[in-house]
Amino acid sequence: MQRILNALIQFRNVVLYLLLLFIALVFINGNSEFHKTIFSRYGFYVSQRFQSINHKITYFFSLSEVNKKLLEENTTLKALELQNNSIALYPDALTQKARFPFKVVGANVIKNGFLSQRNYVILGRGKAGGIQPEMAVISKNGVVGLVQDVSENYSNVISILHEDMKINVRLKNNRAFGSLAWKGKHPQDFQIEDIVTSAQIRVGDTLITGGMSSYFPVGIPLGKVVQLDSIQLDGYYTIDVKLFEDPSQVQYVYLIENQDREEIKDINQKKNP
Amino acid sequence: MTRENIVLWATFLALLFFQPFVFNQFQLFGSINPLVYLLFLVLYPFDQEQALFIVLGFCLGLGIDFLGQTAGAHTVATLTTAFVRPKLIRYAYGSTAEIPARYIDDSRTFNNFLFLVFLITFHHFLYFIMVYFSWDALGLIANNTFFTSLFSLLLISLISRFYSK
Repeated sequence: MQRILNALIQFRNVVLYLLLLFIALVFINGNSEFHKTIFSRYGFYVSQRFQSINHKITYFFSLSEVNKKLLEENTTLKALELQNNSIALYPDALTQKARFPFKVVGANVIKNGFLSQRNYVILGRGKAGGIQPEMAVISKNGVVGLVQDVSENYSNVISILHEDMKINVRLKNNRAFGSLAWKGKHPQDFQIEDIVTSAQIRVGDTLITGGMSSYFPVGIPLGKVVQLDSIQLDGYYTIDVKLFEDPSQVQYVYLIENQDREEIKDINQKKNP
Repeated sequence: MTRENIVLWATFLALLFFQPFVFNQFQLFGSINPLVYLLFLVLYPFDQEQALFIVLGFCLGLGIDFLGQTAGAHTVATLTTAFVRPKLIRYAYGSTAEIPARYIDDSRTFNNFLFLVFLITFHHFLYFIMVYFSWDALGLIANNTFFTSLFSLLLISLISRFYSK
């Protein structure tokens, strides 16, 4: 306190001057509209600067929260997108309410790989987050795999990069369908083996999920045709496919639950006992 | 109260009256009004307490703003000039040489003249900056500062002669 007083006494002229200057400026501000305008313009500029810095700092610290919200929103949008694509399955969608038995949740990828012939993906969401075995796993631009086991907080997914994994696919502008399997080398190089040669297929055609497997809804884009090794005299094409997205590089995935799967399973068993 | 003090207070009051009602009506060449009230800042003893001087400078400017119906440019300019006057004195009379107790005590004409030029130019420049308050008007500010300073200098040096013993 004594030091503050000493400093005040030492700089009393400066303090006095600044005080009186402030009074004079307030006086000008009150008397002259012109000066008032300019002062308020500077005031606005300065406060804008501070607001902007303040906003940047707050924004930086809220980024993770924003990110989380965006992912939630993306999950909702993904569900809507899939629902929208699935309308093709129900030609009467305009007159009756289209059923969409799929439910979408999001999850982070903890571990991923493509070095083995049988690759697995581990997700940071498990039973507690509503994950069940046999849920389909897709990413922004393709399929990732199928849930095999779940623990409380994690789940193990058979990657699409697994030699036993086959996915029902079809062409976007053609009804021809077949099953997609990994070639086992580059994580984006896949092959379709059983599309009949009567189908009109060209290089560059887009592949989407076929919706025949009860795991994946129809219409998830997967990749495009890069090469046609036609006619091996057995009536089937061998098609080389390149995926849109490398499944070993995804960070965030969506899990799809088919709520009708039990029903489909039941009816299937009744038919083929 | 000594005779010098009485003269100083009388000058203060007289300037407060004459500046708005007489000198502000000059309008030489259309717009030049010499700011003669700076005489007070010249005459005030150099060796007195500075805090009181700053307050007096503020009061003088405020009074002239009030009576002359101006926004507050006189207050800011006069207050600031009063605040920096010790520095101006040192520049004008030299930091090593002996500084006189009062303006009128000194016989070095050139230093006196220098002091007046510094004080008046500084004050006028600040005054016109406050009046125009825009960087675009810098040319106008410089022009006005120069011509008004010239007339203020003339009048102040003339009037200050009467205060010499």
